[in-house]
Amino acid sequence: MSVTVTDQKTRASSGPPRLLGSRSRWLAYGIGLLLVIVFFSFATEDWFSIVNYTLIAAIAALSLNVLSGYAGQVSLGITFFMAIGAYTAALLGGTPPTTPLDPQGFGLSFLIWLPAAGIVAALAGALIGPVALRLRGFYLAIVTLALVFIGQYIFMNIAPLTGGPQGRSFPTPGFGDLAFNQQNDYFGIALTAGQQYFLLILLVLVLSALFVANVMRSRAGRAFRAVRDHEVGASIMGVNLFEAKMGAFILSSFLAGIAGALLASYTSYVTPDYWSLTLAIQFVAAIIVGGIASVWGSILGAAFVFGLPQVIDYFSLLPTSSNSGGLTSGNLNALIYGALIIVFLLFEPEGVIGLIRRVQSLMRKTNRSNAEGGEPAEIIDLSSAPASRLDVEDAAPVNGDGE
Amino acid sequence: MAYFMQLLFAGIAQGCIYALIGLGFSIIFKASEVINFAQGELLLVGAYVVSAGVFEWHLPFLLALLAGLVVTILIGLLFERFILQRMIGRPVFSILMITIGLDIILRTAVIIIWGSKPIPAASPFNTISGINYAGVHFGANDLWTIAITIALCAALFYFFRYTRYGLAMRATALDQEAALAVGINIRTIYALAWGIAAAIATVGGVFLAIDSFAIDPTFGGAALVAFPAIILGGIDSISGAVVGGIVIGVIQILTAGYESHVASVLGAGIHEITPYLIMILILLIRPYGLFGTRKVERI
Amino acid sequence: MSDVSAGAKNASTLTADGLPLLKVEEISVRFAGVRALTDVSFEVQPGELFAIIGPNGAGKTSLFNVLSRVYQPVSGKVTFDGHDLLRYKTYQIARLGIARTFQNLGQFPNTPVLEYLLLGRHTRMRSGILLGGLYLGPTRAEERKNRAYCMHLLELLGLERVAATPLKLLPYGLQKRADLARALALEPKLLLLDEPVAGMNLQESEDIAAAILDIKEQLGVTQILVEHDMALVMGIADRVLVLDFGRAIAQGTTAEVQANPDVIKAYLGEEFGEKTGNRANGVSDVYRREMP
Repeated sequence: MSVTVTDQKTRASSGPPRLLGSRSRWLAYGIGLLLVIVFFSFATEDWFSIVNYTLIAAIAALSLNVLSGYAGQVSLGITFFMAIGAYTAALLGGTPPTTPLDPQGFGLSFLIWLPAAGIVAALAGALIGPVALRLRGFYLAIVTLALVFIGQYIFMNIAPLTGGPQGRSFPTPGFGDLAFNQQNDYFGIALTAGQQYFLLILLVLVLSALFVANVMRSRAGRAFRAVRDHEVGASIMGVNLFEAKMGAFILSSFLAGIAGALLASYTSYVTPDYWSLTLAIQFVAAIIVGGIASVWGSILGAAFVFGLPQVIDYFSLLPTSSNSGGLTSGNLNALIYGALIIVFLLFEPEGVIGLIRRVQSLMRKTNRSNAEGGEPAEIIDLSSAPASRLDVEDAAPVNGDGE
Repeated sequence: MAYFMQLLFAGIAQGCIYALIGLGFSIIFKASEVINFAQGELLLVGAYVVSAGVFEWHLPFLLALLAGLVVTILIGLLFERFILQRMIGRPVFSILMITIGLDIILRTAVIIIWGSKPIPAASPFNTISGINYAGVHFGANDLWTIAITIALCAALFYFFRYTRYGLAMRATALDQEAALAVGINIRTIYALAWGIAAAIATVGGVFLAIDSFAIDPTFGGAALVAFPAIILGGIDSISGAVVGGIVIGVIQILTAGYESHVASVLGAGIHEITPYLIMILILLIRPYGLFGTRKVERI
Repeated sequence: MSDVSAGAKNASTLTADGLPLLKVEEISVRFAGVRALTDVSFEVQPGELFAIIGPNGAGKTSLFNVLSRVYQPVSGKVTFDGHDLLRYKTYQIARLGIARTFQNLGQFPNTPVLEYLLLGRHTRMRSGILLGGLYLGPTRAEERKNRAYCMHLLELLGLERVAATPLKLLPYGLQKRADLARALALEPKLLLLDEPVAGMNLQESEDIAAAILDIKEQLGVTQILVEHDMALVMGIADRVLVLDFGRAIAQGTTAEVQANPDVIKAYLGEEFGEKTGNRANGVSDVYRREMP
C-alpha cells in the first residue's frame, strides 16, 4: 500500500540556520562593516557617546531577550542584575579608598572586573532562579519587580560598596596607564576616548550576539523556545524545564551584569536609584519594539528606545528636559515607545524584525515563479527509515534563515 | 502606647488606600483575567485632574473629583474597548506589557501637560481637622478614607450579590463561555469592570494625594504596593484584596514607625520594601494567598 | 470484571516469550472530586499495536497523561521496559523511550516543522548552553547529523516541502503528520498516539493508518492508540482496551471486543446490549491490509 515517491528535486532548507546565510546577507554584512569603519574614523565624540550608550543598551536588551523573548520568562528585574554587575566591577576595579568614607575598590584591571561582573551576576541568578522560576507569568513579573525594589533598598544601604545615596564612581577600562577615558596612542595611532570605548563595547556586543545566536540555533535554544511556547509539551518531549529556565536565567544575568558594568563605567558615576524599575521597563519596551526572540531585534530596539532620544537631543529638536511640562526629547520618546508597545503587541508581536521578515517573505513570494506549494507527496514506504541513529549521510547544508 | 495606636490607625487608613487600589486590580482580574499594570497611572491621572480642577480651573472639590472620575473612567473604558478586546487569547506576557504601554503613555502625558515638578494635592480638609482621643489624632482624611472604603466595599458587596450586573460579572468571572451562552454581554461586563476599577482608583488616588500633600509624576508608583496586597489576599478574591491591603498597610506603617530602632542594622527605609518581602514569603508558602482559589490544572 | 482479566490473560499468552513492554496495574486517577480512572489494568506486548477506545470522558486521555507522567495516579503501578514508570518525572520519559503525539496542536504554532522534529530529538542530542554558544566542531556535527536525520524522516512522511513552514500555517492533516514525525524522531520504544486521525477525512485517515502500520511492521515500534474512529481501530489494532467512565470494561482482540455486549451497551445503549454486534466489521475492511 506504499504510495508514490516524493519529488527529490524540491528540498527545503535542511542545514542548520547559518549565521551568515546567503549572498545577500554577506553583502549586507559587508556594507555594515564598511559603515562601522567609516563611523569609527570620522565620528565626533558626541556621536560616539550616543552610539556607545546604545550599544551597551543593546547588550542589556539582548540579555533580556534571552530570558523573556526566547525562554518566555517574564522579567522586570534586569536592572537588579545590571547593578550587581556594576558594583562587582566597582569593587574589583575601583580606586582604593583614600578616606574611611570612600567606597571600596581594589584597582584591578578591566580584564578582571568586566568578566567578573558577568560571573557574579550569573551567580546571583543561580541563587535567585530556583525561587523565582517556580512562578510563571504575572507572578514571576511581580517577583522580579520586587527584586528591583529590594535591590535598590540594599544598594542604598551598603555605602562601602555603593557609596550609599550619593553614589560612587566606577572604574575605567584601560591597559595600565592607557585609560580609555582619555586619548591614547596605540602603536602610533591616536585613538580618542570614544573610539577606544567603541572598540571595547562593540567587541563585547559582537561576541555576546554571536554566542546568543549560536545558542538559539542549537539544542538549548530550541528548548528555550519550547519552554516558552508550551511547558507541558516541552516536558513530554524531554526538556527538563527547571534546567532550561535556570540556564536562560543564568545566561541572561551574566550578560546583564556585563552590560551593567559597562554602563556604569561609561557613565563613570552612578547613584543607586539609577537601577530603577523605569529603566527596566525601558529595556522591556526595547525588545518589544525591536523584536522578541531576535538578536537584531534587541539591537534595533535599543537603538530606538535609548539612542533615538539622544539623537533628538543632539539636533536640539526638542528641549532636553524641562520641569514645567511640554514636549522634551525624553517625553516624546517615552510617548512613542509606549504607543509602539501597544501598536506592536496588537499587530506585530515580533516587533520591527517581524515587520522586516514579513516584507522579506512577501518579496520572496513575488520572486518565485514556480508554485512552491501544492500537495506534499503521500507517505512512502517506511522500510527505508534509518535503522539506527544517524546512519544517514549528511544532507548538503542548504541556506537557511539565520537567526 | 499612644504611638502604637497612632501608627495602627494610620496603617489602617493607608491599608484602605491599598485595598481600594487592590480592589481595582481584583475586579478587572476577576472579570477578564487581565492584570492592569496601568492602575497606578489611572490613580495618578485621577489625582492630577482633581488637583488641576481645584487649583487651575477653580472648581469646588467635589466637582473636581467628579471631573477626575469622568476622565479616568473614560480612559479605562476606551483602553478596554479598543485595545484590550483585541488581545483576547494572547499570552499573559503580551497583555501585561500592553498595560505597561498604557502606563508609560499616561505617565508621560501627565508630565507633558503638568511638568515633573510636584503640584499641590487638592483636599477638602485642612490639615489639623479631625478627632483627638486618648492621645491619638484621628485625622479627618484618614477617617474619611476608612469610611469611604467601608462604604465602597459595602456597595460592591451589594452590587455583586444582589444586582443583575453584579451577578453577571461574577458569572463571567467563573466561566466566560457559560456566561456568553446565557446571553450575558461580555463586552458590557468588561467595560463595567474597567469603569468601576478606574473610579475606585481615582478615589484611592485622591485620598493618597491628600495624605502626601503634594503629587508628582512618580505618584503612581505607590500603586505597585497593591500587588503584594492582592497576592496576600489572593488574586481572584475581592475580599482578599481588602484584607490584604489593610494588612500590608498596617505592617508597612508599623515598620516605618519603629524602623529607626533597627536602622543601624537594617538600614534606612526598610518599610518601603516590607510589602514586597511579605509578598515573596507568601509566594513561597501559599501562592494563592489567604482567600484565593487553588487552580486545578487540567491538561 | 472477569471478562477483562480473562481477556488480558489470553492476550499475554498470545506472544511467544518475554515480558510485556508496558504493564499497567490497577491505575486510579482522581482530581477535583472526579474519578477519571478506576483500577485500570492492561498489558502491551513489544511490537504490538494496542488501541484504547471508549466514549468521551471515559478516561482515555487521563490514561495517556499517566503514561506521559503528567498525571500522578492515586494508586496502582506502571512498569515500562523494566522501569517503575511512576517514579519518573514528565521530562524523563523521553529518555526512557516513550514518545507521545498531541491531541491539539496549537502548542508550538510558530515553530517550523524541521525545528519541531529537532525538538523531538532533544534527548538524543547533547549540546548545552555553553557548547551551543561556542558552536564548535562537535556541536556543528551534531546539528548537521540530526538535521539530516530529521529531513529524512520528513521525506518518508512526505513533508520535506514544508520543512521550513511554521506549524500553524500547515493544514490540519499535515500538522498531525508533522507531530507524528516529531514523535518518531525520538526513535521511541513506545509510541503513544493521541487521536491521530481526529478531524481528518477518509484519505488523510488512510494515510495515517498506513503510516501507523508501517511503523509497526517496518520499525517494530510498539504503539498505543487512543481513538474515536472505530473503523480505524478495528481495522488495524492487534488488541483493544475499552474504557467507560474510567473503568476497563473489555479487553482483547478486535473481534472479541466487538462482540462484547458490555462494549455495545456502552456505545449504543441498553437496547442494543443484548444483540451481538457484527456490524462494525464491514466498515473496517477498508483499513485492513491484504496479507500476502
